[in-house]
Amino acid sequence: MIRAWHIALLLGVVGLLTLFYKGLWGDPRAIPTVLVGTPAPTFSGPEVNTGEIISLNHFSGKVVVMNFWASWCFECQQEHENLLAINRRFGSDPNFVMLGINYQDREEDARNYLKVYGNNFNHVRDLKGTISIDFGVYGVPETFVLDQQGIIRYKQVGPIIGPVYTHLTEKVIQPLLQGPLPQAL
Amino acid sequence: MKRILIIALLSLLTTSSVSIADTVEEQILDIKTREIAKTLRCAVCQTESVWESNAELARQMRQVIRERLAQGQSAEEIRNYFLSRYGDYILLEPRKSGMNWLLWVGPFVLLGIGGVLLYRTLGRWVAQTALIKPEETLPIDALHRQRIEQELRSLEK
Amino acid sequence: MFIEIGHFAVITALVLSVVGMVSPVLGLKTRNPVWVRIARQAITINFFLLSIGIASLIYSYLTHDYSVQYVAATSNSKLPIFYKVAGVWGGHEGSLLLWVWILSTFCTIAAWLHWKTQPAIMPYLLAVESLIMFGFLTLIVFLSSPFERLFPAPLDGKDLNPLLQDPAMVVHPPMLYMGYVGFSIPFAFAMAALFSGRLGEEWVKVTQRWTLFAWMCLTTGVLMGGYWAYYELGWGGYWGWDPVENASFMPWLVGTAFLHSVMVQEKRRMFKVWNLFLIILTFSLSLIGTFLVRSGVLSSVHTFATDPGRGLYILVFLAIMLTLGFGSLILRSGKLKSQIEMDSIISKESAFLFNNLFFLIAAITVFLGTLYPLLVETLQFQKVTVGPPYYNSVFMPVALGLILLMGIGPYIPWRQASPENLRRTFLIPAIIGIGSAVSLAFMGIRSLYALAGMAVVFFVLSVILLDIAKISSLWARRDQSNYLVGFYRAFTMNQRRYAGIITHLGVLVLVVGIIASTIYQTERVVLMQPGDDLQIKAYTLKFMGAQEVQGPNWVAQEGVFNVYQGSRFITQMRPQKRIYTVSQTPTTESAIYTINMGHLFLTMPEISPEGARVRALINPLILWVWYGGGIMGLGVVLNIFRLRRKEVTVSSTATLSPGPASASGGGLADETVAPHGSPHRDVALNLPPPRRKEA
Repeated sequence: MIRAWHIALLLGVVGLLTLFYKGLWGDPRAIPTVLVGTPAPTFSGPEVNTGEIISLNHFSGKVVVMNFWASWCFECQQEHENLLAINRRFGSDPNFVMLGINYQDREEDARNYLKVYGNNFNHVRDLKGTISIDFGVYGVPETFVLDQQGIIRYKQVGPIIGPVYTHLTEKVIQPLLQGPLPQAL
Repeated sequence: MKRILIIALLSLLTTSSVSIADTVEEQILDIKTREIAKTLRCAVCQTESVWESNAELARQMRQVIRERLAQGQSAEEIRNYFLSRYGDYILLEPRKSGMNWLLWVGPFVLLGIGGVLLYRTLGRWVAQTALIKPEETLPIDALHRQRIEQELRSLEK
Repeated sequence: MFIEIGHFAVITALVLSVVGMVSPVLGLKTRNPVWVRIARQAITINFFLLSIGIASLIYSYLTHDYSVQYVAATSNSKLPIFYKVAGVWGGHEGSLLLWVWILSTFCTIAAWLHWKTQPAIMPYLLAVESLIMFGFLTLIVFLSSPFERLFPAPLDGKDLNPLLQDPAMVVHPPMLYMGYVGFSIPFAFAMAALFSGRLGEEWVKVTQRWTLFAWMCLTTGVLMGGYWAYYELGWGGYWGWDPVENASFMPWLVGTAFLHSVMVQEKRRMFKVWNLFLIILTFSLSLIGTFLVRSGVLSSVHTFATDPGRGLYILVFLAIMLTLGFGSLILRSGKLKSQIEMDSIISKESAFLFNNLFFLIAAITVFLGTLYPLLVETLQFQKVTVGPPYYNSVFMPVALGLILLMGIGPYIPWRQASPENLRRTFLIPAIIGIGSAVSLAFMGIRSLYALAGMAVVFFVLSVILLDIAKISSLWARRDQSNYLVGFYRAFTMNQRRYAGIITHLGVLVLVVGIIASTIYQTERVVLMQPGDDLQIKAYTLKFMGAQEVQGPNWVAQEGVFNVYQGSRFITQMRPQKRIYTVSQTPTTESAIYTINMGHLFLTMPEISPEGARVRALINPLILWVWYGGGIMGLGVVLNIFRLRRKEVTVSSTATLSPGPASASGGGLADETVAPHGSPHRDVALNLPPPRRKEA
């Protein structure tokens, strides 16, 4: 004889196991950001090597790729070569700017890091963490892409390696540079 | 409870008697910062508030809260700022909206439903029991109770 | 070399656990008891094999064998020896090994202890326990082996996580696991009852002490975890509603519900399905907790190194256990029609059911809060946080209801309570409860939680004390002795009931501690220069300066603070900001000074040339939280080790049964309840018989 509580119990168990199963494959990196689609907050800060003050306002009308990194971050080292490659590929485009944001770091460590791993774009020091908080950064590495109107179009938590790199260059940056109103994402 | 009151009383008595050279006091700004920081989650920790955490990000967030308070922003404005940057994740207390109502009223609704169901089931059982054994109801009980009360009284005398 | 022996022993144990699963089944098929005996031997040998496994791991720790990957990851040559042993359960792999080792210990004890008395149930019991052991051993051997070698071996280990280098951490995990694993014994008995069809009260009676023991261990484990968090994490609280904490709290809540409702089955042979459901749920929640903590589904955002393979395995195992448990319950439930006899809604039976309802709702609240973020992520692809404020406003009212029931359930008679009965028992306590809340409000306490909490606490307390006073005086008069002797008589006559009451009193103490230390906490956070004073309540803290201190495996900045009450010097406190040299992990070490069972709690989270950031807290009555826990534990110990009930020489009326319950109504558990229809059906009759002094 089947009773109501039999069915309820079975449904509960199956539902719970399904939830757990889904949760198991949920990607902890895929943090939905509330910022995609909103105007990027403006900021300014000193460049890591030169100390010259750089402001996001300098780059209005351009596609900006912002990468938050730190010298103590292992995964940043993994993606560093790819970041350099992105700038090599798009850097010649007058509408493209690549910016590193140095997060919770010491100046000398950051400089050393760039010396060791190479550098071909500017890095802003986030002195009081306000830039990171403005961009809702959880940790490093995180990467944002801003379109020519200064709207955040893309966010990646975790390193730019493998398929993420291909997606970022082909499906995000490339279209943004080509069309005035691209359908990124 | 009493002890707390005694402590409170003692504090009233003694504060005046201590001679203080460089007493550091909490400023109103600190107290307000604490109130806000306690409601925000330290984004990089396991369920710790921005206030409790020693993480660097939490420290910077406390600084941001302080600065915004100094600029004259209200607690609600500051919380909304963090909400706009980090999403619902940053709030330790989930907002009372949308699906979150499930969380907020779910247990109480279940308690209500459970209570009513339990009460009705009990009522049904009582009715069934009474049907099966109709002959042994209250009278015998009352008799016994009377006897026991007599005995009790004799004991108390 | 030794580690290979351990590895080999654990692999052999895995094979033997298969034997332990299969041979009882063969025994049942062939009706040959030799097979069951083989299973018992397999389980016993497993205990020795797993002991060898653990011993080999401890040996590797003590001999600094960093070629063992697990040792290299969680130990260091500078680690104090105390923590080297504790390091065995300081990580995922080793703690699993400890888990199975405890399981094998309990299984072996259960197999030998109940071998003679429970022959019919034994094959099922052994098979179920072996299945659980098999599940965990598979995980250890194939997915989380602590015996892996590392080539080339590092010169030194990476050190144990500094937060775990704490005395409480040495005892806390074993206690917690003893609780989780302890519930596996009643669970296995319940499963055995379901499979064998022997669904009477026997399994409940046999497992009663196991359940109490498991419950005590789990309670101790949870409270100890709180104590560890309190002085190690340095934020001055002991419970953060963290998923890991909740994972241990959920089985506790359902286990407590089970502990109560089995009494109904024992006394009244009712709620059989319900009790089976509760114990299966309790053990399932232990497993679910294991899954949640170890699979990484609930970990924070930046833990990138989660291993879905391991999580998937635990999930499959969990699915098997849930299906087995609840499935057989559903299939067997038809046979479990217990004769329901319910005379009145106002009776102890129904009080037990409401107790269960509240416990379940409390568990559901914690469950919902813990899993809600996962649910939202799966359904809406968003991340939310469910933090302490949620639990404070949703869990606390339910908990308050539970405490209130604590003052009602034990004092309402079985079967039926008369209005007169209720009035006599609860009227005065209700007045005391409300009166105390009103007077506390007049004394300036404004927090609604505190007032409601204290009203309930005073109500329950006065119910308990009035009852004890009554029963003691009755016994005193009967024996013509004083109240203390009377109380002793009452206690020994019905030790199970009064041991339970002691546990309830412990809960009250705990609740007062929680209310006082959370709602009336005072906090000051300031930046101090040497020479500065900080005023907190009646105390003045003078910052004398900071100094460098060197520990065995850490260096620290130590702040020195002189504490004055008024102008009188009381003590010196030295909070530290430590850096563990190997892992370069900073920790804040709190300094604690006890005042009137409360704490002055001091930490120094930051120190720089600008000064020291100092956090000072006064947590009034915080020790009551753990004293309460201790009293609860005492109650359980008295419950497990009961004195043999003394025979009462009943000279007069034979109709009165020897177990005296309280004058106000029924007992907590141990009084005898007459079957329906017998002449003495009201438990209120169970009074001490008047006895004349005879020369």
